[in-house]
Amino acid sequence: MNKKLLYVFTCVIISLCLTQNSMAQSFEFDKLQKLVEEVSVVIEMKVSYSFGAHDNEQEERYLGTVVSEEGLVLFNGLTLGTESPILALTGMNVKTTPSVITVTFLDGTEYPAEFVGVDRFSNIGFLKIKTEDDKKFNYLHFKDDKKYKVGEWMSLYMLLPEYIQPPLSADVGMVSNLIEVPEEFPLIVGFNSLQMTSVLFDEDLNAVGVLGRLSNPSQSNTDQAGMIESFGNFGMPLLGVITEERLAKMIANPPEKGKTDRGWLGITLQALTTEMAEFWNLDIEGGIIINDVAKNSPASKAGLAIGDIIFEVNGQTVEVNKEEKVPIFQRKIAEMGPSAAVEFSIIKRTDSNVDTSKVLATLDKTPMTATDSPDYENEALEYTVRDMVFSDFLYHNLDADVFGGVVVSELKSGGLAEIEGLRYGDIIQRIGDQEIASVGEVEVVMDELEERKVEEIIFFVWRNQKTLFVNVKTDW
Amino acid sequence: MKFLLPIFLIFTLSVSAVSPDRSIQDKIYSARDKVMTALVHIQPVIKNYATGEMEKQAVIGSGIVIHEDGYVVTNYHVAGKAERIICTLADKEIVTATYIGGDPMTDISVIKLDLSNYKNKIEIAEFGNSDEVQVGQYVMALGSPLSLSRSLSFGVISTKDRYFSSNVRLPSGERTGRYNLWLQTDAAINPGNSGGPLVDLEGKIVGINSRAQTFANNIGFAIPINVVKAVVAEIIDHKKVIRSWIGLHCQPLQELEEYFGTNGYSGVLISSIDPSSPAEKSFLKAGDIILELDGKPVFARFVEEVPFFYNQIAQYKPGSEISLKVLRNDETFNFKVVTKQLGDLQGEDFESKEWGFTVKEITRQMQVENQLDDMTGVLVVGVKNVGSASEGGLRRRDVISQINSTPIQNFEDFISLYNELTIQKTEKILLTIDRSGATRYVLLDITEEEEDKEDE
Repeated sequence: MNKKLLYVFTCVIISLCLTQNSMAQSFEFDKLQKLVEEVSVVIEMKVSYSFGAHDNEQEERYLGTVVSEEGLVLFNGLTLGTESPILALTGMNVKTTPSVITVTFLDGTEYPAEFVGVDRFSNIGFLKIKTEDDKKFNYLHFKDDKKYKVGEWMSLYMLLPEYIQPPLSADVGMVSNLIEVPEEFPLIVGFNSLQMTSVLFDEDLNAVGVLGRLSNPSQSNTDQAGMIESFGNFGMPLLGVITEERLAKMIANPPEKGKTDRGWLGITLQALTTEMAEFWNLDIEGGIIINDVAKNSPASKAGLAIGDIIFEVNGQTVEVNKEEKVPIFQRKIAEMGPSAAVEFSIIKRTDSNVDTSKVLATLDKTPMTATDSPDYENEALEYTVRDMVFSDFLYHNLDADVFGGVVVSELKSGGLAEIEGLRYGDIIQRIGDQEIASVGEVEVVMDELEERKVEEIIFFVWRNQKTLFVNVKTDW
Repeated sequence: MKFLLPIFLIFTLSVSAVSPDRSIQDKIYSARDKVMTALVHIQPVIKNYATGEMEKQAVIGSGIVIHEDGYVVTNYHVAGKAERIICTLADKEIVTATYIGGDPMTDISVIKLDLSNYKNKIEIAEFGNSDEVQVGQYVMALGSPLSLSRSLSFGVISTKDRYFSSNVRLPSGERTGRYNLWLQTDAAINPGNSGGPLVDLEGKIVGINSRAQTFANNIGFAIPINVVKAVVAEIIDHKKVIRSWIGLHCQPLQELEEYFGTNGYSGVLISSIDPSSPAEKSFLKAGDIILELDGKPVFARFVEEVPFFYNQIAQYKPGSEISLKVLRNDETFNFKVVTKQLGDLQGEDFESKEWGFTVKEITRQMQVENQLDDMTGVLVVGVKNVGSASEGGLRRRDVISQINSTPIQNFEDFISLYNELTIQKTEKILLTIDRSGATRYVLLDITEEEEDKEDE
């Protein structure tokens, strides 16, 4: 009986496979491969990863695609991204520094290149080929008005490990869902995350986008206050198309490391759920409840206050009626860019009164993250400090108006600073009697102390909500 | 003749090694007999609120009878706030006990045996003097390691002034150990030994065994009995230990004398001041060096000397004005500080069963630790995985400041409003909460909970 069942089952599976095959794609892979080879490069770079007292350097290898005449190349920048919110907030950054970058075309021509940056939403990395003679490169054109259909096939090429020749390998996948919420995202089945950022082609051999992921936005609560518009990289990744529309913006204006060009309002927020709207008798579809307003932020300058409900942005309804949709609003603000003037329709309510009004706010740029903040390394004591950033104040609940210092961002294991008791994450407020507010000041003080060859340096640091003195003996 | 001398020496050594052994063995026997009869195996049921509902938990510990009325000393982490305590006495008879009070800061609690149906005479053990204990002195630990009752282990005092300056916490979350040093022993101490006595060869208690280093061999710690004596007396009188608090933290001066220009045994360095504490209100600052406390010189050159100073301040009656002579930038100043009561490290717990979460009363120390602006509201301790609170997005550590539109000033406000709304069967409840300084709203839909119950 069981054997019979197994037989029937096997037959069904085989016939399913056959059907699948007979329905399969009709890519002209000869043509496609030529097309891909012309614009593909193998990127090799040295990346140093540092985390607290640890650092190590590693060789990384990526598949890149030339996307502009000037030699702009996109690749999977996941590990080089600097803005993972949990890292930015806890100060526990893995700092990645790419260096010695070469790109090699499949015909063997090799160029040096420089790192440009990583887009925080898609993790697409960019670098630029360096040439001496303004060489024009062949580059990939993306089709701009692609209409996606469930069931249509997509193809891509991935980079195989170094010991395999030829290096590129084709794969196919199928569009399985046209996701609308939390954002428009054609979902694809059949690919894996090792193929991230590979260019996707439809059956007419048009480049339509690159393979990217959609994450569950409700898992992005690592930024507990939501003030820096974070988006999670957690949860099961759903793979799909980062569309031409999104790519075109990035290619025209590539993300630069250390440059924040996203809009920032400066509020902590939550969704006005359908149930809450009902409870308060508000006749709106959804909205954003303001939970907190950052000091001196665009929101505070515009007069937005805790408890206000934003229900329109520039006249458009805010359709956020559950917590999962909050990132839609956050991204909208982020993508408007700094200095955008935005009109918010808001409700101010009490138990007896509901007032509607409009306020105008001029967005600012998103505050700098810990990894991008300036730092200073002292080689004698083997410690590195960085300037405090917005999220430090937010995370530790400190008032930037009265609290100053620099954050210990690196300690060499076995170095004097570590042995004598400085700790990773300490906020140095004073060195000797000198108040410290920036890494520049640390540098001046340390130079002066080194010149005088003092025998001990007293750091006054803030650690775990308390202060203490740390005496570091020197051996100049 | 020359070669005979070593032989003679060996001979005498071996003789002298035999005879003291005999007497030590006898001493151990007699000490054992003095204490073993007063040893108690304790099985309390404690309550845990961390999961969002009140869960009972049976634990095991040890204790020692110290008074004919049936008072038993044990650890706070064994019997603290326990509601049902079963004790097995040395003669294997089983009696119940009630919780009298406790002090999480020294990890000591007192329970009282119900001797109404106990036929035999209750035996008690005697306190020794922990100040006279010496490193290397023989000691025995008695108790119920891993629930194996009436077990005895033997060793020496390894150190008598161990201090844990980092934040040590009890399983229930309270800070502990700030005001006392510890005896360290190599007599084996395992889970279950907690609350049992550490005894000298006179059969007198020199410490209460409380903790052991995990993944180590025989590194156990006991609270010195002289600390215990004072704490137990206060617990029997007031159910708790009342201490003064001014909100300062100190650091040993040893490494910093040159920088601050002090020398040797003089001064206590203030390293940190708690926000909105009496010390802050009196304008004391980190970096100040306290030279005198009410005219008497004080010092903390080594870390082991810090708890003594903390304790000196704690000893004042709350509300006392103390005078501190302070060295700041080579000048001396006098500061007056009015102490406050340290108060409970953690507040009372309450299970809001119908709403699917548990809350805690906010005490002054919780306000300081959790960086709250004030003591109003109640702190969410746990949220049930499935329930209207988790559905509504309530989280651990949220502070509830309003229910519907009624402000919640304190724990009592919360309980009475909870009871009222539960009786009225109010279906929608809007909590206004404070989460990391932001004001959020959580809507509870109670109807679903009710339906679930009917299904059951």
